[in-house]
Formats: sequence, structure tokens, C-alpha cells
Amino acid sequence: MSNPYRLWEIQQRSNTGPYCDEDDFLPKIFTPKLKGIIKKYEIKYDPERLIPVDDDLADRVWQAGWELFREVGLYNTDTHRIIKVSDEEIKEALYMASDRYWVGAGKDAVLWKHRRVEDTEPPFCLFSPDCTCSEELHYSMCLAFLKEPLLDGFCAPILENSIGLKIRSASPFEINGCTQHIYNLRLAARQVGRPGVFLVAVGTAEHDSGQIAVSNNEWGVRTTDARIIGTLTEFKTADTMLNRVVHCCQYGCYSGNLTGPIYGGWCGGSEGIAVALVAYSLNGLCIYGSIFNQHFPFHLNWGSNTTRELLWPIASAGQAMARNSKLLYTSNGFSNAGPMTEMVFYETACHALVSTVTGWHLWEMASARNKYRNRATPLEARIGMEVGHAAARQGMTRDKANEIALKLLVRYEDRAADAPMGKEYQECYDVATALPTQEHFDMYRRVKDELSDMGIEFPY
Amino acid sequence: MLLKELSDAVESGDRDRSEILAGKLMDEGADPLQTISSLTEVMGGIGERFSRLEIFLPEMMQSGEAMAAAVAVFTPKLKKEEGGSSKGKVVLGTVKGDLHEIGKNIVKLMLEANVFQVKDLGVDVDPLNFIKEAVAMDADVIAASSLMTTTMPHQKEIIEILKDKGMRDKYKVVIGGAPTTQEWADEIGADLYCPDAGSASQKITEILKK
Repeated sequence: MSNPYRLWEIQQRSNTGPYCDEDDFLPKIFTPKLKGIIKKYEIKYDPERLIPVDDDLADRVWQAGWELFREVGLYNTDTHRIIKVSDEEIKEALYMASDRYWVGAGKDAVLWKHRRVEDTEPPFCLFSPDCTCSEELHYSMCLAFLKEPLLDGFCAPILENSIGLKIRSASPFEINGCTQHIYNLRLAARQVGRPGVFLVAVGTAEHDSGQIAVSNNEWGVRTTDARIIGTLTEFKTADTMLNRVVHCCQYGCYSGNLTGPIYGGWCGGSEGIAVALVAYSLNGLCIYGSIFNQHFPFHLNWGSNTTRELLWPIASAGQAMARNSKLLYTSNGFSNAGPMTEMVFYETACHALVSTVTGWHLWEMASARNKYRNRATPLEARIGMEVGHAAARQGMTRDKANEIALKLLVRYEDRAADAPMGKEYQECYDVATALPTQEHFDMYRRVKDELSDMGIEFPY
Repeated sequence: MLLKELSDAVESGDRDRSEILAGKLMDEGADPLQTISSLTEVMGGIGERFSRLEIFLPEMMQSGEAMAAAVAVFTPKLKKEEGGSSKGKVVLGTVKGDLHEIGKNIVKLMLEANVFQVKDLGVDVDPLNFIKEAVAMDADVIAASSLMTTTMPHQKEIIEILKDKGMRDKYKVVIGGAPTTQEWADEIGADLYCPDAGSASQKITEILKK
């Protein structure tokens, strides 16, 4: 399905769905329902087993996610009504969904396909630093990422300033920043010889006006690119999000549903995160008309997802969706450590490995918890994508991946709370050439050799 | 004995039982301030467990509601006897253009559990509204959360408007939210930066003592 599912019938439910006081939605509807569903489907987190191999568990997580989405729906904070979707509609939307899409344009177009558990097809590699960056570094960072050989798609860092002026959401400054963002991207893509590369843009736009302002096939975000449309945590939306849904549908570009269920928040623990990831994916399909779901579950205190309580739900939900649907979904890593630390390489490798063998595509890497300006580089993302390619190509089993992932966890898990922030982009990359410093590259190479010794068969 | 039962009710998040037990305690002539102080300690322990994620947000919220129900029972008597016992008045919200609320809601809960009077303005709050509500409430603190880098400038706007109105010294301005930092707080001249929701009530208590 490249068309949105029953666009106006669904949108109208913002006006006609059941009324609910916003204060009641999460504590009185969402969380009690989620707790009951976890119990009903007997979903139980096992901290000793990062990657479950129980197919029945995966199927129960799928059923639980389906039931959660059907029962809870999506709350519109502007109309105070719940958009609900029936079983029959979910089935119809899943039937209509395509398992593959051509994204990007011309020679740079890539076929993005659904993956299965232990699939030997490599994951789609969406590189993204996710962080904000200084205006003077934005173009160089775009170049550096777009130079990455395994890159299938790119989401650029977020501008904080444009022509020296602080960008303020929903203001003229944001529209100006969005224009600069896409011009930098398009020029960088052309200069590295990938003019048609698939872009997910523009992250600088927090408001719908910024997104809509840069839809243009000649100079802006093209119809072969994608936009990210967020779901508010948890299971809430607003007209500013739904405006984007309608715009993407009518403009004709792709969209991805962005969700970040919080471990320790309204979802509770690992089981709740696994179930919510499935439910959010059905939301992306049925209500947002998205071709992919972009998930970044994260730890309430640390803002990361590379520790076991987050890796387990990623592995469980990935298998649930791989076995029971044709959906596309990216696993967005959030590391504790920052660039040019061995820890960030271990964390990214582990996140990518667990995600790859459980059916996910990769979206790497929000370094240093995605909190600090300029603290992300392509090299940590590269190691994740290389792990993903290698694990798929060698047909790595969940058991083997679990064994390696546990070894990797030993190297960083106890440092999650006080992880090193690492360095900023300009300290580990030559800004003019957009290439890593020797010191940075050597660290990457050392960790890659170590991963190789653990059993990951890199082709180069 | 009743106080222990009330503490247990707060800990288990049993709002109805908490309200009933508070009523019984009041009928027995319990000192409202001492009772609330005991419950604040209980809530502090719950906050500690939440900060280690031994319990999760829904459980903490339930405990917070149970405590609020108990405090509400004592409030009329407290006002009569003590002229109010609030540690301070806070207007709280997420800034304009930003729809995120979880961190802000945790701060609200912890402030209320620590006997602050809180006016929650919700999300997507215009900078001027923070100030108007602070004036209306005669607040001590304006607390503004931002979860997006492009909405952080609205935290600065609050401070700038306060300066333009000649009211900067009247309120402590507290900021927080995932992308914010101490560096940003210093840059915009905020009085306090809270790195996480859990520590906000303690930090706000400290700056109000100064």
C-alpha cells in the first residue's frame, strides 16, 4: 500500500471518536489495558536472554500489540477524542500494505524490502546522527555521512541556527532553517555523486509549517524522499502531526511514523515496550499511512536503548512483526557514550546486531543520548551498519547473535549511567574534507577487529 | 497505627483508602503538619525507588494521587490553623510549540508531594501566559520545560519578557527538558537548571531558601 489507508474516514475520527479527558487517557485507559494484555498473553521479560528464540512468544507479542492498538487507539490532544480502528480495518490495511518500496531517485534509488527473522538480506541502512549541530558544521556533517558506502538513506542533523539566527519552532526562523537544511543536503548529495539518494528530511522542522514549506521536487524534499511524523508519547497525536499526514499523502512523498516508547514511563517495563512497539507500528500503518515505522524506545533515566532492558523488547517486537506482517521498521539506536569512545562502538555494534537478526532495518546512531550538539559522527553508525550487513550475509542465528551481544554488554553495561560523552564532530573529523581523523579511524578499526574475533564475519 | 496504614495506602497507590484513612486521622485530632510531613517522607522513598526504576511512572503517579487525596483532607484545617503550609507557589508548563509532557508531569507530582502549590499550564504554553499566570497566582517560581531544541528559545523569551516588564527579580525561573543543559541555563540567565524531573523539587526548595 503506497496510498494512505482510508485517509478521510480515519481523519474524521478526530472529530467523531469517543471523548476522553486527556488526564484520564494514560492512567485510566492506556496503562491498565496494557498491563492486562501483558498478563493475558503471558509476556515475560528474561534479563538473561537478550534475543528470545521462542517463536510463540513473538506471536503473542504481535497479538498483544494488535489488541492494545485496537483497544486504546490514538488520542488527539486537540480534539480530546480517540481515533479507533477496528480489527477488520487493521486486517485490510495489513493486506493492502506492500512489503517493498522503491525509495530515492534515478541510479540512487533503492528497493527497501520487509525482512524476516535471521534474514540473509542485509538491513536497509539509514544513517542519521539525530543530534543538533552548529550551522557552520551542518554541511560538512551532511557530506561526511553521505560519503558512507553502506548508506541507503540519510537523515541529516538538526540545525540550531540559520544565517546566525536562533531557530524558533513555528516561526519564520524555522522555515528559513528548513530551507537551509534541505539545500545543504541536496548540494552535499550531488557533490558526493548521489543526487538521488533517499533522504528523510527535514529534521529541523518541529512544526508542520516548516515541513510543508520545503516540499519541492526541484530544490526541496522530493516525492521520492520521506518525512518523519511523530506520535506523542504514549499513543497521542495532535493536529500538527495529522497536518503532516495529510500533506505527505497529498504531496505524494513517503512518510515514516516516529515513536519513542519510554522504559519506566507509562509503558512500564520491557514487556510493555515490546507490546507498544507492535501497536505503534499498526498506528503508523492505519492512521499515519506511513510506509515505515521508526522506533526509538528509550530508558527514562539514561535516554538510551543499548542495555538489556531495551534490547529484549527490540528483539521481541522485531520478531513479532517479522513473523506476522509485511511491515518495514527501523531500529533507531541511542547510545550512552559519545563519539570517539570505544564504548559507543560497542553499543552500536550490539544494538545493530540484535536488531538485524530479529527482522529490523537499521537507523544508527544517536550518540551521547542524542542530547548534545555536534556529538555524533558517521563512524559509529558505520560500524553498526557493517555489523548488520555481516550478520545477515553470514546467516547468523539468534543464538549466535545472543552470545556475541552478551559479550558486548559486558564491555559497557555497567558504565551506562555515567558513560563518557566523547568528542564533538569537528574533534574527530576533518571538517573540510569530511573524513575521520587517523586517531578516530584507528579506534574504529581496533573495535572492528575485536568484533571480528568474536565471530562477526566482515567481508572487508 | 492509622498513620502507618495511611502510609501503606499511599505507598500502594490506593487513593480511596488514603482519603478514608486521612479522614479518620483528622477525626482523631492528628496534627496535619506532622501527618503531611510523614507522608512526604513516604513519597520521598517512592521517588527514590522510581529514580532507580524499581517502580515505574504509573505506580509513582498512583502514589502521588493517593498522597494528594490525603493532603486534600487536611488542607482546610491546615489553612485555618497555619495560614497555609505551602513551600512555595510554582507555575509549570511545557513551552510554546512543544507537546511533550511526561517530564513536566513528573515534576508536578514531585512538587505537589513536597507541599508546593502548583499551577500546571499544560503543554504548548505561550511565554507571556507563563508570566500572566505567575502574576495571577502570585507565584514564586516559573518552571518551563522544553523537549526540542527549536522550542528552547521560548524559555529564553520568558526571561526576556520578564526583564522588559521589569519583573525579572520577582520570580525564580527554572528550566529543564532533555536537550537543555546548564550551559543553556547560564546563557539565558535562568535561576536554576534541573537535569532530571526527579531532582526538581529538591533543587527548587533549595533556591527558594536563598
